[in-house]
Amino acid sequence: MSLYARLGGEPAFRAAVDAFYRRMLTDDRVARFFEGVDMEGQIAKQKAFLVFVTGGPGEYTGQELRAAHAHLSERGLSDPHVDVVIEHLGAVLTELGAGTEDVAAVAALAEGLRAEVLGR
Amino acid sequence: MTGAGEEAGGGLLVLGTRELRLLGDETVLEGLERAGIEVASGCRAGTCCKCMLRADSPPAASQASLRATLRAQGYFLACQARPTGRLRLHSSEAPAPVETVVETIEHVAADVVRMRLRPAGALAFRAGQYLDVLHPEGPARSYSIASLPADGHLELHVRRIPGGRVSGWLHGRTAGDTVRVRGAFGQCFHVADEPCKKLLLVGAGTGLAPLLGIARDALSQGHTGPIDLIHGGLEPSRLYLRDELAALAAGAPQLRVHHCVLRGATRREHEGALDDVAVRLAGPLGETRAFLCGDGEIVRRLQRTLFLAGLPSAEILADPFLPAPA
Repeated sequence: MSLYARLGGEPAFRAAVDAFYRRMLTDDRVARFFEGVDMEGQIAKQKAFLVFVTGGPGEYTGQELRAAHAHLSERGLSDPHVDVVIEHLGAVLTELGAGTEDVAAVAALAEGLRAEVLGR
Repeated sequence: MTGAGEEAGGGLLVLGTRELRLLGDETVLEGLERAGIEVASGCRAGTCCKCMLRADSPPAASQASLRATLRAQGYFLACQARPTGRLRLHSSEAPAPVETVVETIEHVAADVVRMRLRPAGALAFRAGQYLDVLHPEGPARSYSIASLPADGHLELHVRRIPGGRVSGWLHGRTAGDTVRVRGAFGQCFHVADEPCKKLLLVGAGTGLAPLLGIARDALSQGHTGPIDLIHGGLEPSRLYLRDELAALAAGAPQLRVHHCVLRGATRREHEGALDDVAVRLAGPLGETRAFLCGDGEIVRRLQRTLFLAGLPSAEILADPFLPAPA
């Protein structure tokens, strides 16, 4: 059973995405990348990402991620920022009840997307 | 044959004049694809919302993860829908323009008129949605609806924008004039799914129009939970319909009206930025639904501040007024 399902599926992730997004908006290390962004649209994307990395339903191709983040490279998106996102991802999943092994597995999956996100 | 088509699935899709019988357990998405109709799709598992369509009375299971306003309008996820009876799909075409006649037009503030329009044809709407008003020479501008369908007219609050073509034209109308509109659009309206819910209505300037409609709509639908309406403006002279709001609140103990200005507050207004005042007045936000209307930048700030203070993103219904394209 996927981590997504084990943590409670869609209803659980609705609140989790809000928690994750609040962390992004208030973390000075990454907040600037969310300035001027349409909140509703952005939250929908974050939700799709969270669902995907926990084995939930959905497609998330490397090309989509690459295209979605391309403009941020110009604004200085780099490795430390990806680290921050993975950090918060782990924290939010832990709050939802995920164990350390599950969190590590998700972090590894997210890590595998680093190159796409940073346009490498 | 009796009853055979009433088991799980096997429903009949109606698209315009075309009918499509679903086979076995297939979903609306699968049925449409089988018929060669192009439908956007993605996860096919009820999450990505790419296959969202609209219909009269879709099956509840296909609406479960959508927010209340979308459910109320019949939106559903085609990949999750296994209707058993007839399901009439709505087309995604823009509604045709409707002619309206100006009933009344009155100044409610120095640069704001309240217009009441009587539609000549059918125009379905909910208080808080918006219409596109069509200037005779082409440009269109959006205005939110402050009235309820039961009122029998459409009420708009129009601020005169210096140099504004449509607002200038509207300010020059008199009773009996024709105004063409199209709509209604938007997701900023009341849904009576939780009568005890705490509602927070915050608006700047003519953002009061949709909020007035939503407040009256909620009350008329028997909303019992607390309703806090906060109207903000630059200074006290920019606030309007204060007596009317006070009268509305006097007749409904669950409704509280607050005013907020950036400067020049008297003892009848709070002074400060609208988002700061809103957070202060709102109290705990975890179980609140908020309607945020008015100038785009102000609404974005309100969204952000209230969200960070605990308002769930799914309970934020925003209607940012954006300036006309240059």
